[in-house]
Amino acid sequence: MLTDILSLARAAWEDLQERLFFLPPFPDEVDSLALFSMLLVVGLLVGEWLRARLGWPKVVGYVLAGALFGPSVLGWISVEALAQTRPVADAALGLLMLEIGRRLDLRWLGHHRGLLWAAIAEITLSFTAIFLFAWGVVGLIPAWAAAAAAVTMASAPAVVLLIVEESRAQGQVTERMIMHTALSAAASFVVFAVVVGVVHAEYSDDWLNAVVHPLWVVVGALVVAWLMALLALLVASRLPKRSLAQVFILVATALLAVGTARMLAVPVFLTLFLMGAILSFGDHERTLSYTDLPEGHWLLAIILFVVVGASLPWQDFTWLIGLQAVGLLLVRAVAKVAALAWAGDGLNAVRRRVLVGIGIQPLSATAVFMAYEIAGLYPEIGRSSLSLPLFAAAIMELTGPVLCRFALVRAGETAPTDHSREGVA
Amino acid sequence: MSQPIAEFKQSQPLTLGVELELQLLSVRDFDLTRGATDLLGSMDYDGRFGEIKLEITESMIEVSTLPRTLVDGIAADLVGLRQALVNQCARNHIAVCGGGTHPFHRWSERRICPGDRFDEIYHRYGYLAKQFTVFGQHIHVGCSSGDDAIWLTQALGAYVPVFIALSASSPFVDGEDTLFQSARLNAVSAFPLSGQCPALRDWAEFIEHFSLLQACGIARSIKDLYWDIRPKPEFGTVEIRICDTPLTVERAAALAALAQSLVRRLLRTRPVLNTQRQLHVARYNKFQACRYGFDAQISDPIGLRQVPLRQIARELLAALAEDARELGCCAWLELLDASLASEISDARWLRRRQAIHGNLNDVVREAAMRFGKNGGMNFAEETR
Repeated sequence: MLTDILSLARAAWEDLQERLFFLPPFPDEVDSLALFSMLLVVGLLVGEWLRARLGWPKVVGYVLAGALFGPSVLGWISVEALAQTRPVADAALGLLMLEIGRRLDLRWLGHHRGLLWAAIAEITLSFTAIFLFAWGVVGLIPAWAAAAAAVTMASAPAVVLLIVEESRAQGQVTERMIMHTALSAAASFVVFAVVVGVVHAEYSDDWLNAVVHPLWVVVGALVVAWLMALLALLVASRLPKRSLAQVFILVATALLAVGTARMLAVPVFLTLFLMGAILSFGDHERTLSYTDLPEGHWLLAIILFVVVGASLPWQDFTWLIGLQAVGLLLVRAVAKVAALAWAGDGLNAVRRRVLVGIGIQPLSATAVFMAYEIAGLYPEIGRSSLSLPLFAAAIMELTGPVLCRFALVRAGETAPTDHSREGVA
Repeated sequence: MSQPIAEFKQSQPLTLGVELELQLLSVRDFDLTRGATDLLGSMDYDGRFGEIKLEITESMIEVSTLPRTLVDGIAADLVGLRQALVNQCARNHIAVCGGGTHPFHRWSERRICPGDRFDEIYHRYGYLAKQFTVFGQHIHVGCSSGDDAIWLTQALGAYVPVFIALSASSPFVDGEDTLFQSARLNAVSAFPLSGQCPALRDWAEFIEHFSLLQACGIARSIKDLYWDIRPKPEFGTVEIRICDTPLTVERAAALAALAQSLVRRLLRTRPVLNTQRQLHVARYNKFQACRYGFDAQISDPIGLRQVPLRQIARELLAALAEDARELGCCAWLELLDASLASEISDARWLRRRQAIHGNLNDVVREAAMRFGKNGGMNFAEETR
């Protein structure tokens, strides 16, 4: 139907062109800015509607909008348009990863060994359980089972942060959710780098790539992150703390890091996470510690989740793969909840530890982007081999934010709903 | 539901107890954070130095020492309580500090702690309960009878400005310099039963007065009386409630020494009280002390003149030397004397840090560091 309308519009336009010589050629592609604003409006409307009517987290609405209007369903957002919005999505993911990196306070682990053991238990159990499921039950070869585990073992930093912000949550369950999310993200990035090498070793006789590519990913991301963190601190130290100018410097250096990472083909999420972690650990003078990202990062986050929703391969859905994805998510959920309930981490009540486990269930943008990074190495094999984690992510895009919010509400750490403050955030 | 006043429990005269309300901070930006309930829930502490308990909002926590005869005992308890709390806070990614107000928190973000009493206060006072996220030091001094407690409630009233000036540590509110030395008391004065105890002769008259308040539906329990100084029959004490929580436990102990020495002197000399006259100037004098600290001009309703607070405080500390010696707390009073002589107050320290850093986050961070370490007995070092 859309094609018919477009054909009619084109014919009418070309008729007019014969008489009105100033008219440009019929625009075949939507202008980037127009596309950006359309995604924003659509995501916003669906997100706000779901929030107001059903009380669902807005993120769910953004993903649903993307899925509905994306190539898999209505096709209003084409594959080309998706590629066009990728820099914006990268910037949004980058800023959120920067923020989660900044929240990674390793000094806390020094004060609280129980938390460290809980994190190790959660990371180890999650990876092992998912790997065994993907290998033993689904029947993937070990390399792809490891890739599936690397992609899905961690929680979703972007979702957890946005839900915490949206709910204005604060408290010990919230703090632990953020900490476990940051730590498991860090662990999954390490495993991801190793898996890149393993996949090369599996499909190529070229050992140089198997060794150098993981190093390129890790060292490249580390160098870019370190340089950008250094630049941010250097410039920001000359400005008043918490000033608007510092906010601009933080955002500008983060975007520079995103751009540089894209140019060097090192993962944006890893680079920005490392940049945040370096800022958290290396900012001895607390130059940027008190400087928050601008509220505007929500605008970018909406685009990110619309793009993620549109990027998921809904058209490849089969009942078998759906069941396998549900199985993977169940195994993952049990691993996370059991590890945290068992290992403690300083919360006295088991119920509250279980809530932390539920709160870190989301699986989202980072997983999808990681899956596409690995799948991109050998596209003909990778895409089908990674459909399991991609579908798991697809299911969790919709249920993860709800679970995260549920945990925060049950922990009593969210602010009372104040509709007068409802807006973009 | 109204509660009858408990019988006044006789206690050993001049025994001391100190309560401090403390701030729970996020270590990320040093704003107030919520977490008191979880903090206490997972705390492994045997109560050897006193109690650690919830206060009205989740961003506050209260420590109270055991009853002690000597100020040194109070100081040891406060150090023990501080250490237990600082360790527990570190395990939970929280910092803790003193000070009468948090310099830049937003009161609307505060959360009332779970509990029937806290719920009831919130429903009765509305947003005032959240704005009551201010932090004070309460000093209990043991009394042998209810009559003594009521007499002391009146007698100590004239010294309220001195306690305010020596403890003042709340110059900032909502991120602004209020120009007050103690802005905390402005939050307290919004409550209908705040202020001064009326002129009452003895315990029987107090019971009569309180029964009237109950009959009129104004107060239900003695906890509703937010007076600057009030009797505490359950403990057998008179309770001084106007001090800001100082930035160090050492200053808190020194203020307890002042209270103990002053009560001893008052009981020993039994001066004639002019409570009615004092009540005429009490609010004005309190404002002066809150606003100007050591520079306040205090109205004297007997001599019909104004006297600099600095002079009153110096003369008082000199007059208390003998009692302090008898009580073994001279060194603590000397700390206050030195603080007065060198014009050092916690409010001034906070303003200096603000001038150095240019932001309040770093000021609170340094206040938390200062609270957590052993300050020793020299306030002079604090201003460096």
